[in-house]
Amino acid sequence: MKTKKAYNVLTAVLLHLFALQFNLRPALKRYMKGSTGWINFSIGFRTVTGSVNQSIVFKDGHVKVLGHIPSNTDVVLNFVDEDTLKEMLNITPNEVLNLILQNRLMLEGNLSYLQLFNFYVALLMGKKHQRMLDKIHANDVQARKREYSMNNPKLAKELNARKNYRMKAENRDTGVKYLDEPYLRQYSIEDFPRLKEFLDIHFNTMPEVCSERPRLLTEWYSGNGFDSDKSGKPWVPEMRQALAFKYLMQNRKPIIRKNDLIAGTTTAKEIGVVIYPDAQGSMIWGELDSMNKRILNPYSISEQDRNVLHYDVFPFWAEKNFRELVRKKYNYPLGEQIDERFVAYFVWKSVAISHTIPNFPLVLEKGTKGIIEDIQSRIETISDQGKKATLESMIIALEGVNAYALNLSRQANRLAQKEKDPIRKQELSRLADICSKVPERPATSLDEAINSIWIMWVALHMENTNTGLSLGRLDQWLQPYYEMDMEKLYTDEERQQYIKKAIELVGCFYMRCTDHLPLVPDIGNYLFGGSSSDQAITLGGVTPEGEDAVNDMTYIFLKVTEMLSIRDPNVNARFNPDKNSDTYLKRLCEVNLITAATPSMHNDKAVFKALEQHGYPIEDIRNWSATGCVEPTLSGKHMGHTGSILLNLVAALEMALNNGRHPLMKWDLGPKTGSIEDGTFETFEDFYNAFAEQLRFLVHHAVELNNMLAEIHAYYRPTPLLSTMIDGAIEKALDVTKGGARYNTSGSANIGLADVVDSMMVIKKLVFDEERISFKDLKKAIDNNFKNDPKLHALVQYRVPRFGSGNEEALQIAKRTTKLIHDLYASHKNFRGGRYTSGFWSMSQHVAYGNLSGALPSGRLSGKAFTPGLTPHPLASRNFLDNIKDVARLDPENMDNNMAFNVKLTPSANDSREDIVNAMHSYVKTYFDEGGMQMQFNVVTSETLKDAMANPENYRNLLVRISGYNAYFVTLNKEMQVELVERTEYGV
Amino acid sequence: MAKTPLILEIKGNSLDDGPGIRGVIFFKGCPLDCVWCHNPESKSPNVEISYDPDRCIACDTCIETCPVKAISKENLFFIDRSKCILCFECVDNCPSGALEKVGTEMSVKEVFDTIIKYEAFYKSSGGGVTLSGGEPTMHMEFISELLGMLKKKGIHTLVETCGHFNLESFMTLVYPLVDTLYYDIKLFNEDEHRKYCGVSNKKILENFKALNKMSNKDTMELVPRTPLVPRITDTRSNMEAIATFLKSLGIRKAQLLAYNPLWHKKNYKIGKKSILYHDPAMTRFMGADRLEQCKNIFRQNRICV
Repeated sequence: MKTKKAYNVLTAVLLHLFALQFNLRPALKRYMKGSTGWINFSIGFRTVTGSVNQSIVFKDGHVKVLGHIPSNTDVVLNFVDEDTLKEMLNITPNEVLNLILQNRLMLEGNLSYLQLFNFYVALLMGKKHQRMLDKIHANDVQARKREYSMNNPKLAKELNARKNYRMKAENRDTGVKYLDEPYLRQYSIEDFPRLKEFLDIHFNTMPEVCSERPRLLTEWYSGNGFDSDKSGKPWVPEMRQALAFKYLMQNRKPIIRKNDLIAGTTTAKEIGVVIYPDAQGSMIWGELDSMNKRILNPYSISEQDRNVLHYDVFPFWAEKNFRELVRKKYNYPLGEQIDERFVAYFVWKSVAISHTIPNFPLVLEKGTKGIIEDIQSRIETISDQGKKATLESMIIALEGVNAYALNLSRQANRLAQKEKDPIRKQELSRLADICSKVPERPATSLDEAINSIWIMWVALHMENTNTGLSLGRLDQWLQPYYEMDMEKLYTDEERQQYIKKAIELVGCFYMRCTDHLPLVPDIGNYLFGGSSSDQAITLGGVTPEGEDAVNDMTYIFLKVTEMLSIRDPNVNARFNPDKNSDTYLKRLCEVNLITAATPSMHNDKAVFKALEQHGYPIEDIRNWSATGCVEPTLSGKHMGHTGSILLNLVAALEMALNNGRHPLMKWDLGPKTGSIEDGTFETFEDFYNAFAEQLRFLVHHAVELNNMLAEIHAYYRPTPLLSTMIDGAIEKALDVTKGGARYNTSGSANIGLADVVDSMMVIKKLVFDEERISFKDLKKAIDNNFKNDPKLHALVQYRVPRFGSGNEEALQIAKRTTKLIHDLYASHKNFRGGRYTSGFWSMSQHVAYGNLSGALPSGRLSGKAFTPGLTPHPLASRNFLDNIKDVARLDPENMDNNMAFNVKLTPSANDSREDIVNAMHSYVKTYFDEGGMQMQFNVVTSETLKDAMANPENYRNLLVRISGYNAYFVTLNKEMQVELVERTEYGV
Repeated sequence: MAKTPLILEIKGNSLDDGPGIRGVIFFKGCPLDCVWCHNPESKSPNVEISYDPDRCIACDTCIETCPVKAISKENLFFIDRSKCILCFECVDNCPSGALEKVGTEMSVKEVFDTIIKYEAFYKSSGGGVTLSGGEPTMHMEFISELLGMLKKKGIHTLVETCGHFNLESFMTLVYPLVDTLYYDIKLFNEDEHRKYCGVSNKKILENFKALNKMSNKDTMELVPRTPLVPRITDTRSNMEAIATFLKSLGIRKAQLLAYNPLWHKKNYKIGKKSILYHDPAMTRFMGADRLEQCKNIFRQNRICV
């Protein structure tokens, strides 16, 4: 008791010391004042037992410490015990994140202010933390070399050498008009010095935080008011957003990068990190002085950007972000409290609503001018002032885009005048012409179309957070412009040259797309490791009329995908077994082999089946494209926010095992569904129902939070520009955040399916059917992480058939569970009146959630990763075909937000490229024929991955597919790397 | 010989046992006794127990369960096979699966039903079903029925054989149902064959000649194969003798199989000593150079390998 009290005293002493420094030292004190005044906030420190109870208050330039925590304290840190508090004083900020993830330190309140406090702590402790970090980093590098003590440069060479041999197409698809050899095997990256140079920059530049967007927006809002305008009249949110957006677009620096064929950039940096302070932007506040030194994915930042963000931007937005507004409006709802514990689910709407596909054909065909005319004629037909304002705001947003394009055109002209090299001069003049024409007017050539899409893309990202916003069916939408150009060429030589130019142009587009990164605070490195913006491009499939859609541009995109092998854009390929050719599918496999990880492949037929239940017209279903990771969106007509909720299915299982309590959170959270210790469960059905009950509870709260956040988006950050790009909004005169789109759904991803099914099988077989073990003994073993019971551990792992083994019972439980999940979500309506959809992909959450989950009946140990997506466990079967067959037999109807089935293949050195590709082709083809929905290969050996862990410098471009998205292996956290190494590999 | 053969394993996803994706059925029992046998657990036609030390968690359940006390940690091979009465109590109770029963009695229909599950993969890849072993031709009637069922389904069939079989019975029961025959010619010298493979190679070579005369692309593809075993089969004299023999028969295509040392571990699992383990070349995978040297001897005889 005495020592416990001592911690309260210690905390008080430390806080007083802290306060003293800030009160007395001007060099510190100046950080307490933002550009519009003193930053006032307060932080409480408390242990769960109540032994510590202190707070620190920053008010009007003065810091004081209180021996209690007033009820209006902005944020409270709850320590699970005194030891954790003590630990926190001796570790680096990123280790503190681990305390938070492990639920040993729980946060309550406004996280922006906690970040500000972290920033202050770093001002005092920064150098010490830095030394500690450097040491941790050095130890880590050494430990990796020791643990994976191999240095086999041959392995890295083998990967890079895959590009050197390229297959020839056996046939030409009917839609391919001008490519004699659709695989374009004659070209390699060596033929495109411009692209090579861009790649070099890409791999050698540390991403830099850019303050341009938040600075300009903050400027506008500070001058024009946020809730109400200068005259005190409440803003129509759409109008406010549009005006601020237009101001941003008019004043952004128009940048045309050296040698680029595409004008405009998302940030003012070479590779920029875009800041959205109205979303998660201020989560980087605490790292402003340390982000360049963090271990995973460091960012650089200039002194000027740092100061702009600290003094001007973050203080303005600290209480105006999605999370905060929900907390205030709904009085910190339970759904949000659960979300902020990181274990059970993550509601992505706290960051964005971006997971959708804009209607690019519209802007290519009509230009913004044409769209504005359409909006104007719509305005004339309505009298409702609100609707009118909504429509007017759309016009203003489009004017903002035009202003930016014009600035780009001027800039191109300026550069052209200065340019000495005649070829580049011509290119710049051409860019000046292009930007003076598009996106305002219709595109009439491929370079105009691509630049038009890019400028719109930049603009959309100035409005919407850069996470998951996706590009759609670019091969379909660009083919007409390619053909227009081709028709003007008469000689074969001209056409050959043009094809090369088209490849280069698309290559430049890829490199532009990958020029920006979403802001990932360090905690995100442990949750979404290595993820970029995940801008999905979708290729192939069928046309809205149902005909084979594979065309010249499909193969040009694939060529670029192969040559660049970059993580973003995220290339997804549709394969329609009735219409698409084997030539095309083999090319997908070859590109996947060469790049090691991309594209991901989808079966049109299964996706159609998944979407048909929604009653969409067939033409729109046929026009689906992948969003973010893999999720289907009806291109240009659909607000599907497909990445709304990432839910941990295992959390529901753990709660069912513990009568509603979650062990890691130490929280009696869910309904009391029965205790194993008290012998409540008499049958397997009893227990399964308990799981269903816990799941219902979690889904309910995740959905509720998602709907609250949706409402905040609608009234706080509506999206007039995006609304012009999604069919329905102009007609309804309603912003897409409010339901303006033709189709409205919200998508979930449900993580840990195989782990849950395998656990259910153990309970069913060993406890109830065969009565080989008692439920209590099993529970005891789980609680002890199987430490005292290796025999039971072996039994559950090896003696019970798993999902993916070909066992009918396991498959039935998997089917039943997907249906349960699907029906739970389908019973909810979203804020826009649409349905919830269910997906089974996992981003990197199978690692993060695994890290935060205890041992399971399946024998999975505490802290170990789940399987990615819905991939069967490595022990399921020695025969990979059993995996394929089981996954293929799941019902697409229950997976209307798609799935991710990861397969690691290792090519045999003795087999020819053709043999390997043929084998891959057979796997995919048969899987699709059997009804499978999606499949993605990592074509890399565990040996190579281990070598990359020890010698990252040799593998900067090693691309891997996590679950649904691509990442560079060396940017991943260690748990994720280990998970990839441990995936089963199958030889081809 | 038992009427129903024992099945060692049914593999559904092989890319190394013929063209395309293949299902492979491994039969138990072989008339030869090659010292390097790659699948030593397939030699005996009888059921056995295998012990995998890598998988064993040392829980001692088996030691406690064994009714004849045949299992002991002191025993180099864990199980004293001379005491073991093959009651499989230990296998049934082993939680980790380290102890396994080797060899399962299966009816033709059971084998067919298991292998046909993956039919779609065979078809899409230009693959099919391979019978391997052990020696499948020790069970002519069984495989005849099985091959017949596969052919009815239009599945490509391949048999891997050591060639030591009754030709007459092969011709009537098997020959019409096989698309490809992988035929091992391991050692050309009869004495050496006897020494390393346990039997004379006379019958093997005679059968081969006879089959070569009869078969062509339209009936059955005959592919001679030689496993390369360091200092036993990969000698210059053996390579040359086999190559010359094949050439004299007008054969233009053969396969050479690079040596791999995985059989030592398999030997241990079923309680057999590896007599060749002292030779370091026997403990390593064969290098690409050596393989190339052997291939060249065949190429010099205009045989494509």
